[in-house]
Amino acid sequence: MSRKTLVTATLLTLLSVGGVATPAAAGAIETVTLPNPDSPIIAVRLLFKAGSIHDPAGKEGLAAITGLMVGDAGTQKRSYSELIDALYPMASSIEVDTDREVTVISGEVHREKLAEYTALLTEAVLQPAFSESDLSRNKEQALAYLTTTLRASNDELLGLEAIQQVIFDGHPYQHSPAGTVEALESITLEDIKKFYRDHYTQANLMLGVAGGYPEGYVAELEKALGALPQGEPGKLTELPEPAKVEGRQFTLIDKETDSVGIHIGYALPINRSDPDYYPLMVANSYLGEHRTFHGRLMQQLRGHRGLNYGDYSYIEYWHLPPFTMNPTPNVPRRQQYFSVWVRPVVPETAHFAVRDALFEVDRLATRGLTEEEFELARDFLVNYSKLWGQTLPNRLAWHMDSRYYDMPYYIDEIEERLKKLTVDEVNAAVKKYIQTDDYHAVLVTNNAAEVKAYLEKDQPSPMKYNAPPEQQVLDADVAIQKIKVEPDEISIVPVAEMFQD
Amino acid sequence: MSIQPRLLNVFLCLAIALVALPAAADDIFPYKVHQTTLDNGLKVVVVPYDSPGTIAYYVVVRTGSRDEVEPGHSGFAHFFEHMMFRGTERFSNDEYNDVIKRMGADSNAYTTDDRTVYHMVGPAAELEVMMDIESDRFINLDYNEEDFRREALAVLGEYNKNISNPFLPLYERMRELAFQQHTYSHTTMGFLEDIKAMPDYYDYSLSFFDRFYRPENIVVLVVGDVDPDKAFAMAKKYYGGWEKGYQQPKIATEPPQTETKKGHIDWAAPIRPHIMAGYRVPAFSASTVDTATLDLISQLLFSESAPLYQKLVVDEQWMDFVSGSYSDHRDPYLFMIFGRIKSEDLVDDVQEAIGQAIADLQANPVDPEKLERIKSHLRYSFALSLDSPNAISGTVTNYLSLTGDPLTVNEVYAQYQKVTPADIQRVAKEVFKPTNYTVVTLSYAEPEKEGEAETTAEGR
Repeated sequence: MSRKTLVTATLLTLLSVGGVATPAAAGAIETVTLPNPDSPIIAVRLLFKAGSIHDPAGKEGLAAITGLMVGDAGTQKRSYSELIDALYPMASSIEVDTDREVTVISGEVHREKLAEYTALLTEAVLQPAFSESDLSRNKEQALAYLTTTLRASNDELLGLEAIQQVIFDGHPYQHSPAGTVEALESITLEDIKKFYRDHYTQANLMLGVAGGYPEGYVAELEKALGALPQGEPGKLTELPEPAKVEGRQFTLIDKETDSVGIHIGYALPINRSDPDYYPLMVANSYLGEHRTFHGRLMQQLRGHRGLNYGDYSYIEYWHLPPFTMNPTPNVPRRQQYFSVWVRPVVPETAHFAVRDALFEVDRLATRGLTEEEFELARDFLVNYSKLWGQTLPNRLAWHMDSRYYDMPYYIDEIEERLKKLTVDEVNAAVKKYIQTDDYHAVLVTNNAAEVKAYLEKDQPSPMKYNAPPEQQVLDADVAIQKIKVEPDEISIVPVAEMFQD
Repeated sequence: MSIQPRLLNVFLCLAIALVALPAAADDIFPYKVHQTTLDNGLKVVVVPYDSPGTIAYYVVVRTGSRDEVEPGHSGFAHFFEHMMFRGTERFSNDEYNDVIKRMGADSNAYTTDDRTVYHMVGPAAELEVMMDIESDRFINLDYNEEDFRREALAVLGEYNKNISNPFLPLYERMRELAFQQHTYSHTTMGFLEDIKAMPDYYDYSLSFFDRFYRPENIVVLVVGDVDPDKAFAMAKKYYGGWEKGYQQPKIATEPPQTETKKGHIDWAAPIRPHIMAGYRVPAFSASTVDTATLDLISQLLFSESAPLYQKLVVDEQWMDFVSGSYSDHRDPYLFMIFGRIKSEDLVDDVQEAIGQAIADLQANPVDPEKLERIKSHLRYSFALSLDSPNAISGTVTNYLSLTGDPLTVNEVYAQYQKVTPADIQRVAKEVFKPTNYTVVTLSYAEPEKEGEAETTAEGR
């Protein structure tokens, strides 16, 4: 969960002046640096291996609230208001974002203000005030997010949270980093102090610095952060395997809404550090690259049928507002899931939309990619992925992630791996990981009981078009509209029960 | 996940004037801007920037929902943005997508009140391909009625995905109340009944293209790893044959507001109360200090370090967020304030606190040191924002849309420096008065709701 503001990234550019992620010299803190002397801007990122997987039972949301109490709260020397005042003239801020595995505290500053900013940043991280007033404000923010943003204002984010909850049921990834209403209310300053003591340690910290910083800066910063407790050097917190989904499990989030949002997915046993990830990445791009117009899902559901605004698929969790174009770095997750996102459709076409999405996934699973489709998707990704590091803070963050996953620089790795791929390898990965027999589906919908009834009946759901599509589309519809979905279980969850406890 | 809502919230022997303006020492915009205008009126702006191998390619149409003057056709500028991806004789929709895919470019578009922008970020080596496919669709767009009707459904789908956000109906109501004559009375998305009727207006769409998608009304902007002379030569080659023909719409002037206007929306699901308020303000101008003064007032009242913000969000914690600002518009628009309130019983307190802070600003000159801090904030904020070809293009695009001149940005920042405590008081008195005020609230009320639309369309 992150703190406000527009995403103000920084720094010059793309591949300007090089920068290689180099491990810091012997020292307790793992450091990644990307020097760019020509840049007037410096980006600093502190990645703590402290995420919502570390929330104690009954204290869901603790990692996120602790993050906010460090990065978005007062210090022992100054109140939150005074901290904001001090940061204001330099137009810098301290951003905090807590995901499942990590909390990242970050900021960018003009080099004229580097010393001042660094003093404030380290003060916040090393000497948080942990005051009641900051706690009440930050809890209030988290509660408003759960009860108003998710439950009542944004069906798309609601669906995104819900699909993760069902895929990772009983797993440390299950709950939103924002926690639950009940747990948030129970969080005390003592809980936060303990979480901070246990997790904000040198051993848990990865420091990233990029841009036009002066010589000696990184060493000074490391020295300052050396005031954090040493902590236990060791491996990342072990994660259990997600429960395997059996059959077709539907969850209907029942709420007052005029449209139906659809997510379908299941856990994947691989992440980007696995060689299989790269052939799957090509297949997924073919099926539904995020916010592009050339994925099959987008072309079939929106382009040819006008069902909705967008249709995409993923083999990694997509962070931040779903309308962002490129993936966000610094949300590393060792366990991932495959998903299809069908943006809201009108209720009359929801049944067909579910079937059409399943049809496309199944088509990919059974037929794979042709040589030509493979080449196009591969070439696209090789170029496109370079855009993900357009800003230096982003590149820095991708480098840090690569360290987290213990792999070479991700953006380079994509090119390296993709260039060696064959269509057979892609289709083998598809066979291994893509299927429509066992999955979770989440529908955010009004009148859930009616939706449940038609899903159970599994009767044909013919499309009615206001503009007849091409004949080949109509021909395909004949089969799609009567696909047997055969749900094994359909549960209805009133929206008021979401994020409750 | 983000807890805080992210709201809404850039020749070779051409027989034409050619300007390359160096960045003057005191100009805020640090990059050299090259511009030229072709014989047909198309402006081409090139900003070289150190981004090896990458460029941003923007086409800025100075037509937005502001230009939707014919009744029943609100939302058409945005709808037309969608149609621009429907293909030409040379490149069908699928072929166009394949070219984009082959380049590995990031490509999309968006529409606002005042402009429609087609943007792309991709390999610098593909500049000529970009010029080719983009000029082709702007000159030779070709779609049939079936394509048109189908795309209307995607627009309705876009409306549907937005409809669950309470700020959208608030925004719709605010506009309808605040404007009766001017086209700012509807959002960029358009009135729902107009969106539903869109499929039947194929012929109108052809006329829309014919009148507005003309070179005199458009700017091509290239930022990044680019040679201006080569870009200008390519522009002449690909866009030079495009015929003039822009027909400026006659946009009604909104008469002065004479009384406070109020509205309320019942929301069918449990929700925290929301508020949106607007004060009528003059059109954007870089030639006087007034627009700049409004930006400083926004900081004085609603930046995180502002006493009002501190009171509402940090100390009293009555709101989990609040924002207030003027966004640049070509015609008189609104200084908008909006936020989310913890509970129903605090709605009046919140309004009173905002009113009190405004009254203070009108009654007492602001501490000059405070103004200096704000000016510093704005300068650093600008410097920090110019971090990629895309970001630079975004900034330049705003000014291209407002005035047609990318260097307006320098005038705006020069005006910031001139703002005095007396200006703040004067503009606060002129703008923040009851006869200029419109407010809409939203809160939970059992069933029966009519929900609705949006501000900036997200992109096609």
